[in-house]
Amino acid sequence: MVEPQPPRPSVRAARRSDLQVLTDLRMRFLGEAAHDEPRLRLMPDARVRTEQAFPVWMGHDDRVILLAAPSEGEDEATPVAYAMGLLRRAPPILASQNVGEILEVYVTPEHRGEGLAAKLVAVLTDALVGRGAEVLRSAVPVGHVAATARLERAGYRPLQIELERSLGAG
Amino acid sequence: MEGIPIRNARRGDIPSLLLLWGAMMREFEEADARFALHPGAREYMATTFAAWIQDPTRIVVVAEERGRLVVGFAAGVVLAGNGWQVPVRLGRISDTYVAAPRRRQGLARRLAGRVMDLLYEKGVDTVRLAAAVRNEGALAFWRSMGWSDLEVVLERPVEPDAD
Ligand SMILES: CC(C)(COP(=O)(O)OP(=O)(O)OC[C@H]1O[C@@H](n2cnc3c(N)ncnc32)[C@H](O)[C@@H]1OP(=O)(O)O)[C@@H](O)C(=O)NCCC(=O)NCCS
Repeated sequence: MVEPQPPRPSVRAARRSDLQVLTDLRMRFLGEAAHDEPRLRLMPDARVRTEQAFPVWMGHDDRVILLAAPSEGEDEATPVAYAMGLLRRAPPILASQNVGEILEVYVTPEHRGEGLAAKLVAVLTDALVGRGAEVLRSAVPVGHVAATARLERAGYRPLQIELERSLGAG
Repeated sequence: MEGIPIRNARRGDIPSLLLLWGAMMREFEEADARFALHPGAREYMATTFAAWIQDPTRIVVVAEERGRLVVGFAAGVVLAGNGWQVPVRLGRISDTYVAAPRRRQGLARRLAGRVMDLLYEKGVDTVRLAAAVRNEGALAFWRSMGWSDLEVVLERPVEPDAD
């Protein structure tokens, strides 16, 4: 008897033909972030801006955009998760100038717990390191305890706090 | 109390700004080795300060004691938002520093306050900045001024430490 194996997620680079699915996934990601944190609420034209940005980003070698589907070998399976990273070349202030940033990782709620995010982050990390990243960074909204814990298990440590203040209202 | 006067920085302040900036970065590196400086950092900042002073989107203010000794500075910039999340325009405070012997006299509060006023005049209503997690004094300072935490930035070397 062969035990059924859990599906192995397939991860691939996003293509221009993925624009719609990628935009849909990103709008869900941004929508959840805005729901959790009103200071990150969306602008009315966020979707249009995202549709315009993806083709530009796909042409940049420093940016990595990945899509994931639940099972391997089905290249055309509908992606249910995405991740985006950037190799940022910081000005010569700190010794580590080549910073690999994990910008966005999103898995649709119905596919959480299947290892998609871990696989996406692993492929993204390899891609950023392959492009020359010396350190890796990721920003997590305050209060996202689970995301912070996941990064800490992967060897990340808190570096900075991003703070905000409104002006004018007193 | 009037206190030490605060004014916009001028080209002639660049040597003082570089001294204070160097002292600030040494403090950061002593608290956290991840803030180790690039060997070309000072040279880069010399040209950067000169550019900032001329740039209308930038603000650099200094606190000058008795008309000759610069004992603190703060800098800010007006940026476009990312395009999908609010705000449309964003102010950022990039640096705030007060020489150690002049601390806890309200000087940073006035320096940062001046930068925020000037950012507001430039049409900004939201300001952000980053403070190191190990810089408890700075975090206490900003929180005392009504700033609140938005995000935590985590970092990992490419080869994770064995700790
Ligand atoms: C953080 C820094 C700019 C504060 O400068 P300062 O002139 O001493 O600050 P102020 O006197 O205006 O402080 C205003 C209030 O902030 C809080 N505060 C300031 N420094 C603090 C500290 N080290 N610990 C706890 N609270 C502090 C206090 O509430 C203080 O009011 P109080 O003195 O009446 O208690 C200064 O310590 C500094 O230059 N540090 C090194 C550089 C740095 O960290 N810059 C900020 C980078 S994000």
